[in-house]
Amino acid sequence: MKNKFLRALIFSIIVFSATMATAAETLNLFIWSEYIDPKLVTEFEKANDCKVNISLFEDAESMLAKVQGGGDSLYDVVVVPDHLVPAMVKLKLLAPLRRESISNFTNLTEKFLNPPYDRGNQFTVAYQWGTVGIFARTDAGKAVPPTWGVLFDAKQRDGSYFLIDSVRDLVGAALKYQGHSLNSTDPKELKAARDLIIEAKKHCAGFEASVGGKNKVVAKVARTAIVYSGEGVRGMGDDTNTVYFIPKEGSQIWVDNLAVTAKAPHRDLAEKFINFILDPKHGAQLSDFTQFATPNRAALEFIRPADLKNPAIYPSPETTAKLEFLQDLGLKTRLYDEIWTQVKAN
Amino acid sequence: MKPPGKLLRGTALLLYFFLYAPIIVVVIFSFNAARYGVGWTGFTTKWYAALADNPLALTAAKNTLVLAATSTLIATALGTMLGYGLKRFYFPGQKFFQSVLHIPVFIPDIVMAIALLMFYELAHHWLGWFELGLTTMILAHVTFQIPFVAIIIQARLAGLDPALEEAARDLGANEWQTFRRITLPLIFPGILAGAMLAFTLSLDDFVVSFFTSGPGSQTLPILIYSSVKRGLTPDINALATLMILASLAATLALTLLQRKKAVHK
Amino acid sequence: MTKPQKNSAAGWRPLLISGPAVLWLTVFFFLPLATIVGISFFSRSDYGEITRPLTFENYQRLVGFGFLGFDLLYPGILLRSLALGAGTAALCLLAALPLAFFIARLGRCKNIALTLVVIPFWTNLLIRTYAWQIILSPESPVTRALHWLDVGAAGEALYPGWLALSLGMVCDYLPFMVLPLYASVEKIDWSLAEAAMDLGAGRFQVFRHAVWPQILPGALAGIILVLLPATGQFVIPDLLGGAKTAMLGNAVQQQFTQNRDWPFGSAISVVALALVLFGLWLYRRKNGGKEIELA
Repeated sequence: MKNKFLRALIFSIIVFSATMATAAETLNLFIWSEYIDPKLVTEFEKANDCKVNISLFEDAESMLAKVQGGGDSLYDVVVVPDHLVPAMVKLKLLAPLRRESISNFTNLTEKFLNPPYDRGNQFTVAYQWGTVGIFARTDAGKAVPPTWGVLFDAKQRDGSYFLIDSVRDLVGAALKYQGHSLNSTDPKELKAARDLIIEAKKHCAGFEASVGGKNKVVAKVARTAIVYSGEGVRGMGDDTNTVYFIPKEGSQIWVDNLAVTAKAPHRDLAEKFINFILDPKHGAQLSDFTQFATPNRAALEFIRPADLKNPAIYPSPETTAKLEFLQDLGLKTRLYDEIWTQVKAN
Repeated sequence: MKPPGKLLRGTALLLYFFLYAPIIVVVIFSFNAARYGVGWTGFTTKWYAALADNPLALTAAKNTLVLAATSTLIATALGTMLGYGLKRFYFPGQKFFQSVLHIPVFIPDIVMAIALLMFYELAHHWLGWFELGLTTMILAHVTFQIPFVAIIIQARLAGLDPALEEAARDLGANEWQTFRRITLPLIFPGILAGAMLAFTLSLDDFVVSFFTSGPGSQTLPILIYSSVKRGLTPDINALATLMILASLAATLALTLLQRKKAVHK
Repeated sequence: MTKPQKNSAAGWRPLLISGPAVLWLTVFFFLPLATIVGISFFSRSDYGEITRPLTFENYQRLVGFGFLGFDLLYPGILLRSLALGAGTAALCLLAALPLAFFIARLGRCKNIALTLVVIPFWTNLLIRTYAWQIILSPESPVTRALHWLDVGAAGEALYPGWLALSLGMVCDYLPFMVLPLYASVEKIDWSLAEAAMDLGAGRFQVFRHAVWPQILPGALAGIILVLLPATGQFVIPDLLGGAKTAMLGNAVQQQFTQNRDWPFGSAISVVALALVLFGLWLYRRKNGGKEIELA
């Protein structure tokens, strides 16, 4: 009896390993959750006779931690937010892009060429762009004042709320509420922001990443959450009693980028993937799914027309004037890390 | 002893209900049509169908089984040998090893997970070994399974009548024959119990897997955790229900098997 | 524990039999632990790499001397984690007592009743944990009933928070308390209790002086089985506790998944490890040098 049992076990292991060994070339993609249309992935797999392994992250710092912790030789393509590009280049985690294999590069809108965080697009190509804002329930016609105060001001809070589980996004929001730049490195301003967040944390339901915050507001677990624009717009599509807005104090605008890791096991396939995403029709399909804005000029004509007119996706010039990009703060990033540790532990 | 009184019986029933409430709830809500939240919006089996079309879930299920089966096989062999060796032979450092065998059992998962992660990282950095993936996960799982198996084997050996082994030796059996013909059959239920526990521990593990996994080696617990974090659980409820059914079936089968054996004897 | 029978013909054999597992645990358990102890004395570079100089700074931060002034943050986390572990153990003991007595008093159904306690343990911990999110979500009947009793704000979920965390922890750890406790309860010598009763002791006194001492070993084993793992838990606080219940485990996780401060994360882990070693040592001292009976 026991020999049979053992034999069956060994047999099943062999069968399993055999099925695992037959896989064709694999692209390992490291990306935020709900950030790519599964149909696009299938299409890429078919077109290149390969398999795409998707690994998900929920916040930018976790992505960097994984890539720095050996992920630079595991993943092929990573999605990197603008402000982390300089640090990742300095840490030698990214491989230079070979422009000749990315012919669709010229499809990018002009302002995404040669960005300040990656001069000459040596390492990155823009993927999607968007804003950070507030996603809130409006059940029974309740109005939500358009301010960060709905999270940071005890008088304006109404119902339970989630804070965003991402250091630069949350500290940035607090800094904006207090009228400072979200790239502040002034210890006084940062301490004030820290205290504001710690106070807000005492009454909050918890920390959620953007997708989690959106889903939980839709599920009525909380009334308010900080999310990225695409999540906000998708959430409004799922539940009409919700709204996404950019607070009047101003907020963050960001660009997510595609990059190839320094020791990517499948560098050629990685660049093929980047080129695939930059194709006008694919770019449109992507933004139609994510509800984020496209950096792809050639894709604009294929995008759902209503989305192009949606100010929650493509903010008006007046709103844009109040938006600020995050910058790499170099050695001062340490201050933010320390604040984050204290906020989380408090 | 007198049978339990009304009050005791009531309290116990309530506690049983408390233990089973989460499991029952997951099963019920796997049939809820609502995508978000838990408001009941109707009966459906669509989440089970969605599961069959979810390549992530299928890969995760495959990874979980490969991981559990492989690690259990290795850990059961090594753990049995360790349990037997510690109990039956003397070697230098044995007492020390016996007393530190409990540490892996009680150490918080997260400490073990990051210790392994750091170890893999440094080894990868300096030697190029241990690329994170299914292999590093198997190595990690075997590590926390071995002590459990060894402890169970030791307990089983402690309950054995030494006269049986002595009798075999007296009758001229050599060391190996004694082990093969007498000891092994006697401790086999222990080995089986150890293997079952090891298998369950592997299926249950999230923390160590999470930190030692690489791309494409996602397991069911990792999938469940990330879905729960994202607040999207309808198909996870279906998945969980299937997992609950599988573990119930396994427990039932093993209980029946043991009972049959006991009757046979 | 019986002494190992010294084997005359041994020689190389013990090495062959125990060797592979000893080697395995040395390489994949003790060496990694040594690694994090080592790393905890290094510094973090500004971009998150492990660098020199060697320093005690990580431990100084743990005691309260952070970059932004003195703050008893980490001692607070340590206490909170210990409180969670102790609270869970206490609640589990309270719940396990009636269960253990109930099972012990059943006749033929004993084994079934005991198996019923163990079955939840065979199902995945994550599943049993997130189920409480469903039970305590805003629209569930349980939540509404509790709102009616004035627990929590109307229309809002009862998780995350301490209530959800306690329910989840006790539900997940209860089997670990019931099993050793039951083993002790089953062996109780009731003649002692009867004698006490005959001598006119009240119910409580009987329990306190004639029954409790007999089940103490089981209770102690149960407490250590719940207390140590519960103190280091990070998944249950993460899913049910929310922001206000950051524990030792969550602090470690944060340093590794977000802050990339590996030396500091290692230092917190070393403290958690020391805590477990101390607990095990204390148990063995109290228990006359005996190991915890796990099997």
